[in-house]
Amino acid sequence: MIDLNRYPREIVLRSGEKLVFRPMTRDDVDRLWTFFREVPPEDKMYFRQDVSRREVVQRWADTLDYGLVLPILALEGDRVVGDATLHRQRTGWMQRVGVVRVQIAPDYRHKGLGTAMVRELRHLGEKSALRHLMAEVIQEQAAAVRAFEKMGFVRAAEYRDFVNDQKGRLHNLIVLLYRMSSSDDAEY
Amino acid sequence: MAGTGYHCPRCGAELRGDPRKGGSRPGGTPGCPYEGLAYASLRAEHDAIYFGPWRRIDASPMEIRRGYHGIGRHLDAIARELAGHDLPGAARDLASAREAHEDADPRYDHPNALRLMDNALSYAHRAIDDLLHEKGLPPHRPMDFAEWYDVVEVPFRDEW
Repeated sequence: MIDLNRYPREIVLRSGEKLVFRPMTRDDVDRLWTFFREVPPEDKMYFRQDVSRREVVQRWADTLDYGLVLPILALEGDRVVGDATLHRQRTGWMQRVGVVRVQIAPDYRHKGLGTAMVRELRHLGEKSALRHLMAEVIQEQAAAVRAFEKMGFVRAAEYRDFVNDQKGRLHNLIVLLYRMSSSDDAEY
Repeated sequence: MAGTGYHCPRCGAELRGDPRKGGSRPGGTPGCPYEGLAYASLRAEHDAIYFGPWRRIDASPMEIRRGYHGIGRHLDAIARELAGHDLPGAARDLASAREAHEDADPRYDHPNALRLMDNALSYAHRAIDDLLHEKGLPPHRPMDFAEWYDVVEVPFRDEW
């Protein structure tokens, strides 16, 4: 069980701007929906679901279960400017693997927010008895790849022409892995 | 200014730049560029190594040995700080730093010794950034303090 007592947390960016990190709640539907509507079309193409539809975000809020998906929001006042999620499974062969996803508002990119959110996810992963964190990134998302690598994620695989965007074009998928401290004492 | 060596009055780190760049206090004492910052001593120690002579292309074996031992002391200082925190990610970075540092021991003439020393310092930097993140602060950027050091060139800088 992840201890959420550390939230809300104030985070200062390199620019001096102050944000708050905290888990998403059911009251955040409109904030998060607004955030996703600001995402450029070229980024939306890589989403697994159509987040421009409010009902999709509403469904996330209705089914919030931090044990399965822990969404951490970065807020500037009342506005969501970043969304980082840690996805876990309670059973099965992937129960020790956490999948992480990060999305940053266009006007908050290149300010260190992405790295701060990846660092936050890494901390949460270390606290949740996971052995690995996994990130899947389209090759064109170079800044995201750099942010993950900066935090110790390593490229584990590259699948060529593996995923398609919403226009049907194929892209290379890069899988990055981070080995948690607890993976060092793994027994096989 | 090359060759103008002095020590940071706050933390004792060796600063080689022109003290006037950082301003001065009454009595002509140079101000400490790290004063008031969280983990000032760790930052100053890191930067003294980061901008140290061992990273020059023409570094002498003695300078490389000094750099190596400086990194070792720096990792010890980070370990002492981390002992008071529950930060597994930072502890892991420190362990990676120690591993790289051990492999870089100049006595064994490893062909990639300088690269390994740089890796050790990079992991150390990440551990410091983890500490800063826990305080909600942005990462440490050595280049913000470059004017205080005798910076001629910094190899591998693009990888930081």
